[in-house]
Parts: sequence; C-alpha cells; structure tokens
Amino acid sequence: MGVTCVSQMPVAEGKSVQQTVELLTRKLEMLGAEKQGTFCVDCETYHTAASTLGSQGQPGKLMYVMHNSEYPLSCFALFENGPCLIADTNFDVLMVKLKGFFQSAKASKIETRGTRYQYCDFLVKVGTVTMGPSARGISVEVEYGPCVVASDCWSLLLEFLQNFLGTHTPGAPTVFGNRHDAVYGPADTMVQYMELFNKIRKQQQVPVAGIR
Amino acid sequence: MADVLNVGVNLEAFAQAISAIQALRSSVSRVFDCLKDGMRNKETLEGREKAFIAHFQDNLHSVNRDLNELERLSNLVGKPSENHPLHNSGLLSLDPVQDKTPLYSQLLQAYKWSNKSPFHGVAGGLLNQESLLARASAQGLRARQRPNSLLPPEYVDDVISRIDRMFPEMSIHLSRPNGTSAMLLVTLGKVLKVIVVMRSLFIDRTIVKGYNENVYTEDGKLDIWSKSNYQVFQKVTDHATTALLHYQLPQMPDVVVRSFMTWLRSYIKLFQAPCQRCGKFLQDGLPPTWRDFRTLEAFHDTCRQ
Repeated sequence: MGVTCVSQMPVAEGKSVQQTVELLTRKLEMLGAEKQGTFCVDCETYHTAASTLGSQGQPGKLMYVMHNSEYPLSCFALFENGPCLIADTNFDVLMVKLKGFFQSAKASKIETRGTRYQYCDFLVKVGTVTMGPSARGISVEVEYGPCVVASDCWSLLLEFLQNFLGTHTPGAPTVFGNRHDAVYGPADTMVQYMELFNKIRKQQQVPVAGIR
Repeated sequence: MADVLNVGVNLEAFAQAISAIQALRSSVSRVFDCLKDGMRNKETLEGREKAFIAHFQDNLHSVNRDLNELERLSNLVGKPSENHPLHNSGLLSLDPVQDKTPLYSQLLQAYKWSNKSPFHGVAGGLLNQESLLARASAQGLRARQRPNSLLPPEYVDDVISRIDRMFPEMSIHLSRPNGTSAMLLVTLGKVLKVIVVMRSLFIDRTIVKGYNENVYTEDGKLDIWSKSNYQVFQKVTDHATTALLHYQLPQMPDVVVRSFMTWLRSYIKLFQAPCQRCGKFLQDGLPPTWRDFRTLEAFHDTCRQ
C-alpha cells in the first residue's frame, strides 16, 4: 500500500464519459502501462434513524459504508470528517441488524468501476462513476507503491499526474495535509473516494434545481 | 616599563598604518574590478583600448602610492617587542602581581601540553594497530592475509552501534542467526529497509526493500534472498551492490562500513530529491535512484554520466 491520490477528471468537451475514459486509457497504454484486470469501489449512504436522534434536535449524521476491490476482505465505514472504521466484510450483515439505528438512504448507492493499470511502481485506476443506471463522471486514482509518507512523494506524484492529466492535474488531497509524516493507510484512500463521491453527487443536484 | 611600551609601539603611527592598509586593499580591489569589467563601449576599438589602459594605469598608480605610504608608516610603527615567545600573550608576564595571578606560567604549561597532544593521538593509534596485528599474526599465515575475518564479534558490535548512534534517522538492528556472521536490518526513516549480510566487518550482500515490505520469511528469519516487489528498490539494490565494490579499504573495514552507511543515508530523500542533471523527478517511471559516491547528489541512472 503506497501513497494514493484520487481525483476527478472532467468529461472532455463534446465527448461522452465513455469516450473520455477511452482517451485516458489509450494515453496510459501509450505511456507503456500494462493492463491488470479491473477494479471497483462502491459506497452506500446510511443516515441515523429518527427514533435515535433524541429531543436535542441534533442533525442526523451520515455514515458511508464502502468497499474496495483492492481490499476484498474489508469493509470501510466512515463519517464525514469523522473516524474511519475498517472491518471484515461481515460488517454488511451487521448493518442489516442495526436497521433501528442506521437506515440505508434510498437509491444512494454510488460506485466507480474501471480498469487497473500498472506502470513501473505506479498503479493507475481509471473508473466510470455511476449512480443507479447513469454515468456521472470519471475517477482517476494514482497510487505510488514504494512510498508510505504522503508529503515525501507528493511532488513526484504531481509530476506523474501532470504528464498524464495535463491541465486537469488536481491539487494535493486534503488528507495529505492533515497527516504530516504519518504512514499512509487504506483508510486515507477511502476518505478521498468518499469526498469524490460527495462532490459528484452535489454536482448532479445543481442542474436539477436549476430546471425546477 | 611604560617607556618600553611607548618606544615599541607608536600608537598614532599604528592607527595611520591601519587606515593605509585599508586604502591599499580598496585600491587593489579596484584594480581587479577594472579587470573584471573589461573594456567599456566606445565608438572605436582603439578608443576602447586606450580608455581601458588609462583606467588600468591609474588604478595601478594608486596601488603603488598606497603601498609606498604603508611602507613609510611601517617604519614608524616599529617592531613589537620580540622577547615574548607567545607574542602578545607575553604581555601577561609584565603583570606586576605575578604571585597572586600566575596566569602566564599556567599559560606556558598549557601551551606545552597542547603542543604534545597530537603525538598522543598518533601514538595511541599505532599502539592499537600493533595489538590487533599481534593477535592476527598469532593465528598463523592465513590469518595474516585476512586479519579482518578474525575480528572479535564484540568489536563488530561496537563499530555497528557507534554507526547507529551517528545517524539518528537510521536504526540498525544486529542479529546473528547463523553463527558469528552478523546480519543487519537497517531502517532508514520511513523510506526503506536494508538487509546487510556481513562476514566479520566485510559487507557480503545487501538487499533494499520498501518500508512497507515484509523482510522476514514465514519462520521469522530475515529473508536475505527475495528481492523487492518495487522496481525502484530493485534499482537501489543494484546501486548498493555497486557501492560495496566502490568502498574498499581492506586495512580499515570499519571505515568502509561507515562510508557505506553514510552513502546509504542519502536515500532518506529518495522520493523528495529531483535529479541534479535534468531537474525532474521521474524518468521511465523511476525517481533518481543513483547517489554520487562523493557528493551524495541524486541522479537518474541514465543522467549520472
């Protein structure tokens, strides 16, 4: 597990999501990257049940339960800005039992699927973010395996991203800033995916409100 | 006694001489400035040359003038009294209350001591070497050819622990799973781990792995055979093997180990240092993996020539 940067790639003008993904993967293949199967990251939203909120009128916190094909035996449960729990996949069954406290939000499942590429020590995953039946955006994950401290290799990662994404190079993910020289872990990647999914969800809401 | 001082040093002339030295220095630096600036732009080449030569001549004249002035003043200043073997500190001996503050005699004694101390160091070194050689020669001819294979394990431990203390960002764990030969697990910051297989104080083999990679086999021993999963550390392993061949000094194996560790320590910035030649981080997907043996600067493998 190395340092990972997750970012969103805007859809190229006049192109569909699928075409932009193809453009990116072709670029990777030109670079010399090797295809290594597929990957999938999914996320389901739960909100605290009304019965447990109490009379203080606290707003219900959202909880996200996520899976990552890179860690097939684990399940991640995160609060926004909050702790991240890493559990076995059985955690899903537990969530069903906790129906009284956490209720799954309807049609909230969002996921990204795509191809996994290896280039030297870099692992690049370009995925299509889908919510229900429709494609909503493109996720690009770049992992640099040998390094475990985010601040050490950010400039190196940035150079790779600039070569690969050109003008759409993202800034440093917020999780990098929080942890000065701590060892980077899988939870940090999941936090980045959660933030990306939330951003994409919000992007979708705006045009809908405009139509109304 | 006041007379002696006054005759020896004419204070007025002294102050003048100091300012004369300053004047001389500034005129000399003007000469070099003039040479550095070269010829000024003038219409014709001849005019340029003429102006330059005139300027240069002026400067040289002023140097000459200042030098003469300084020479004149230096005659006035007179020589500082020569009967003081320790130069100005000899003035301490003029202190009339010598019985109460024997500063000067103490100073002389300290001076003699400090003069002798380098000899102590040299003699100590010679003595140490002598005892090691004696022990080696007692073990026969074969041993004399390779005295290092007979260094006692305690000595190796001592050298390694001294190196360990020398570099705070480097931790060295020493173990002896197979008899007397030591194996080191060197952890460098949060960047990499190195397995070093030693024979006495000679380094036989090194393997570089990532900080997050497993360095033990299933039965809990150091895994000295498998290589790293990452290309960057495979490359660094190659370079470390080159370094072993580079740092060779059979008479002083501890210096070799220390130089090797110093070189290895420069990898603390493996992912942070751009290449000193091309200024980039990545080349063919790899960061600058080569470190110069002398300057420890970072280069890509292909940029180092």
